[in-house]
Amino acid sequence: MEVFLQIIFSGIAVGMIYAVIAFGYQLTFATSGTLNFSQGDALAFGALAGLSIVEHLHNYWLMIPVVMVVGALYGVMIERLGVRPALKIKSEGWIMATIALGIIVHNVAENIWGKDDLKFPSPVSEIPINILGANVLPMEIIVVFGALGLMLAVELFNRKSIYGKAVVATSADRDAAGLMGINTSLVIVFSYALSSLTAAFAGVLIAPLTLTGASMGAALGLKAFAVAIIGGLTSGLGVIVGGLILGITETATGFYISTGYKDVPGLILLLLVLAIKPAGLFGKTAIKKV
Amino acid sequence: MLKIDNLHAGYGGTAVLHGISLHVAKGQVVSLIGSNGAGKSTTMRAVSGMIRPTAGAILLNDADVTGMESYEIARRGLAHSPEGRRVFPTLSVTDNLLLGAFPRFTGSRPKGDINADLERAIDLFPRLKERRTQLAGTLSGGEQQMLAMARAVMQNPDVMLFDEPSMGLAPILVEEVFRIIERLKQEGVTMLLVEQFAAAALNVSDYGYVLESGRINIHGPAEQLRNDPAVRAAYLGGSH
Ligand SMILES: Nc1ncnc2c1ncn2[C@@H]1O[C@H](COP(=O)(O)OP(=O)(O)OP(=O)(O)O)[C@@H](O)[C@H]1O
Ligand SMILES: [Mg+2]
Repeated sequence: MEVFLQIIFSGIAVGMIYAVIAFGYQLTFATSGTLNFSQGDALAFGALAGLSIVEHLHNYWLMIPVVMVVGALYGVMIERLGVRPALKIKSEGWIMATIALGIIVHNVAENIWGKDDLKFPSPVSEIPINILGANVLPMEIIVVFGALGLMLAVELFNRKSIYGKAVVATSADRDAAGLMGINTSLVIVFSYALSSLTAAFAGVLIAPLTLTGASMGAALGLKAFAVAIIGGLTSGLGVIVGGLILGITETATGFYISTGYKDVPGLILLLLVLAIKPAGLFGKTAIKKV
Repeated sequence: MLKIDNLHAGYGGTAVLHGISLHVAKGQVVSLIGSNGAGKSTTMRAVSGMIRPTAGAILLNDADVTGMESYEIARRGLAHSPEGRRVFPTLSVTDNLLLGAFPRFTGSRPKGDINADLERAIDLFPRLKERRTQLAGTLSGGEQQMLAMARAVMQNPDVMLFDEPSMGLAPILVEEVFRIIERLKQEGVTMLLVEQFAAAALNVSDYGYVLESGRINIHGPAEQLRNDPAVRAAYLGGSH
């Protein structure tokens, strides 16, 4: 029982990280039908930038808004260089362009911060708390609430503010949104900024729990992509459920079978969802172009 | 108010409009009539910036808006209620209406009293009253049409384009749509109207243009077109 709880708790923390990155994929898909395949690199870049910023500010919490700005600028750059030119000529060039930009960022990060993994100082105690017999790190709790908090904040913005409504309108019908006087190109830039901000935020959330390095985002970005497909590219609830499913099955497989097979159930799940319900467990429209 | 001069437009190399000119003066209601595929919606799309004209000029309030993005043209005072309603299905009726006023919230158009206009829009389209919190996608076709028109009213524009506001509606709702157009006209709203019910459209209009295969060959005061034998035979036959 205690082992089972331990698996659930660890799975939830990992799963929420997947969920929040997957949420980032959804943001750009909603407004533009495109995905930022360099989300994993945005995450790593955010974590590494966060590490350097913490060294200057000596405060993890003050670092977070700064990293968010860095992440947002990263997203603006990806949109300008990789996505807008492709959208203009209605091509699928954004796929290769965002992957290529991610590789460049990865290389730049390696040159700035080196190839070795770095230790990210934990802002909270690293002594586990005992919850119902399972050991939970305080940072894991912060991860869960941080991820949920960010998604909730975006959701509230979309529902309550006129700018958020403009984003929803652009997602629903870009031409009609333009007729309302909404600058839909700007909305797409904004969604890229928000999406990469989300990834950078996920980076500094997960960094104290893992090692920090230029390559830390590759597997996370890919798995979060699987979560976005499993949960559905249009459903906020879907990515949370998808993230939790993947996080928990991974942790369970790692414990009961072998850590070497940890990634297998998620991929099987992904293949099953694609075969049976391509729109994702909660999605309405199937991903067509990717 | 709105002036189109020698407009050419089309889709991906296929020309649809071959140089049309028309004029909508302040406070006037002007009808654009023509058979299916003549290019009526294309004209409206070119005016509102949904498609880019290949030649010609569009003047709104004496300013050249040719080739501008649709959001810029909307901010300069043009509302286009497009063919097929195009309401935002995942947003509530109220949110759809508020989005009509988007440039007024952001300061790119004079703010005015948005809440008062919301009341006025609901007053003009009483069917929306009970459904303010309902998602637009769950409205009936007629209600969605009312919402699309009300959303255009919320823009508080200088010129409104209505593309087939009565499309697919039951006769009683068609009458309601024309009553609303009549009322907007009395309030001094400038309108360019495309309607399948050409006779009814000419009844509320001051002036009319007949579009045939992307060209305008006949135009004149609405009264004159209503009595023109050729127009009657071609366009006013079955309608009421
Ligand atoms: N998105 C599009 N892509 C390509 N061709 C189009 C598109 N929309 C319209 N057309 C073509 O342009 C021509 C004019 O169409 P348009 O929609 O302007 O006609 P209309 O006068 O509004 O007709 P209706 O009364 O049926 O609404 C038609 O031949 C149509 O097939
Ligand atoms: Mg049409």
